[in-house]
Amino acid sequence: MKQILIFLFWLLIAVVAIALTIVLGERGAWYFAWVLGTVMIVLIAAAGTAIIDARYEEHHDDQY
Amino acid sequence: MQELDTVIELSRLQFAATALYHYLFVPLTLGLSVLLATMETIYVITGRDIYRQMTHFWSKLFAINFALGVATGLTMEFEFGTNWSTYSHFVGDIFGAPLAIEGLMAFFLESTFVGLMLFGWGKLSRGKHLLVTYMVALGSNLSALWILVANGYMQNPVGSVFNPDTMRMELTSLPDLIFSPEAQAKFVHTSIAGYVTAAIFVVGISAFYLLRRRHIELAKRSFRVAALFGVFATVGVISLGDALGFINGSAQPTKLAAMEGLWETAEAPAGFNLIAWPNQEEKRNDFEVQVPYLLTPLVTHTFDESIPGVNDLEADAETKIRDGIPALIALQTLRENPDDAEARATFDAHQDNLGYALLVQRYAEDVSQATDAQIAKAAADTIPPVATVFWSFRVMVVTAFLMMAFLILAVIYSLRGTLHRHNWFLRLAPWMIPVPFIANEAGWIVAELGRQPWTVYGQLPTWLSASTHSVGYMVFSLIGFVLLYTLFIVIEMFLMVKFIRLGPSEGKHESPAEPTSQRHSSQWSEA
Repeated sequence: MKQILIFLFWLLIAVVAIALTIVLGERGAWYFAWVLGTVMIVLIAAAGTAIIDARYEEHHDDQY
Repeated sequence: MQELDTVIELSRLQFAATALYHYLFVPLTLGLSVLLATMETIYVITGRDIYRQMTHFWSKLFAINFALGVATGLTMEFEFGTNWSTYSHFVGDIFGAPLAIEGLMAFFLESTFVGLMLFGWGKLSRGKHLLVTYMVALGSNLSALWILVANGYMQNPVGSVFNPDTMRMELTSLPDLIFSPEAQAKFVHTSIAGYVTAAIFVVGISAFYLLRRRHIELAKRSFRVAALFGVFATVGVISLGDALGFINGSAQPTKLAAMEGLWETAEAPAGFNLIAWPNQEEKRNDFEVQVPYLLTPLVTHTFDESIPGVNDLEADAETKIRDGIPALIALQTLRENPDDAEARATFDAHQDNLGYALLVQRYAEDVSQATDAQIAKAAADTIPPVATVFWSFRVMVVTAFLMMAFLILAVIYSLRGTLHRHNWFLRLAPWMIPVPFIANEAGWIVAELGRQPWTVYGQLPTWLSASTHSVGYMVFSLIGFVLLYTLFIVIEMFLMVKFIRLGPSEGKHESPAEPTSQRHSSQWSEA
């Protein structure tokens, strides 16, 4: 039951995202692109930094 | 008339000066707020204290910049009323809404949460503090959004109609105003330019520390996160720059012609003027170096569309002025007798070009008596100062690509862990800090000077928009603003340099509140 609810939640998120894309796309989708782009930039910068940090520590590499 | 011209020029100079000063602070606030949120996200995910120290240190520099940005921005909102009262009356119905939303929603959101972000360390849990930092980032960028929606209207007035009974523009569609292509592209371009500014600022200062072997753990991580953050942002800012150019092609052809130094209409496939020396008096470029075939796909996104040049645009403006004159005459009749059906019908038929008729009123008070020479002079006014716009645009583009190259190198060296082998790069990085600021200011000059002679493109000429102050009053207030804002810049520079020299005071600050057992645990090291 819990898994179905989680699945439905993400399905709802996906439907809302698609609806938003369609509505905003008709107006020119730059605001939507900004939201998506900012999230991606933050995620890639954060995840990339954390992963590289871990990799260097694994190799006991203090260089920069 | 001469005194009026002087007052208008002084009003323009004052607004330009305050806007350019203010805009030295804004992009760093926009970008650094999001970069802080990125650093704190890593802290919350990994639990490593170094990232808390990073967030804490950079938030001190953010706070200095934020405070001075607010101080320089507040006066500008009042300037609309004091120096540009005709403009404020003309578009107040439209311009007022985004400015009010900016004040009530974005600015309050930003100001409330910035206090919690700066003083909430040790009092809020990690998750709550992160949420607060994201709220600051969102508030900062929403402030920019509403201002740029208002500015987008000045560049491309949509969602409104002129009411001859109230003598002002009235809002017909808020969604059209908010979602106008100009507003959208301008906001995203400006916001992401702020990201690049912040990235280069953090990379530059981190390189300064690395070169002097100070605060190495904090500096190398700050360098890495900012370089990654910035490299994606530069790609975004260049893409959005292209989008803005494309939108300007249809919304503001005179600005586009000035940006490209195009005097004659360029048939496809037109060459791109890499370098030129525009001569506005003789309407030609004294010197030019072209890249063949590049301009047409760059500006029109096609291979067969022509791009109108200054001479054709001037001729087009002359036609519009002649078409708009009956609307202005009918408007004067309607002001005396609003029930005059014939005048109203004439007005309705010609109102699209009313703004162009207002241009000729500068030279002929009674527009019905306007001579061909006066109309030609008014038509020539529709072309902005070509050389300044042309070169500001090139400065912006060249610096954008320079920053992209710089950040790509920063990412490569940082990810490979070879920064210590490239001292030349570490020495160069602090000198790159002014570059995004130069690009931002150049971009602002292209946008605003390229819009001239209009405050609202095609609707309200600048010469009609200013208040009727005395020359003495304008000179006095201009000198006052320049001195005050210069003092603000000196204070900012002094505080920034002081805190950068001091560096992060590692370990002296409390972590966000959490159980002691969890405070020093690290999911990352446990993994």
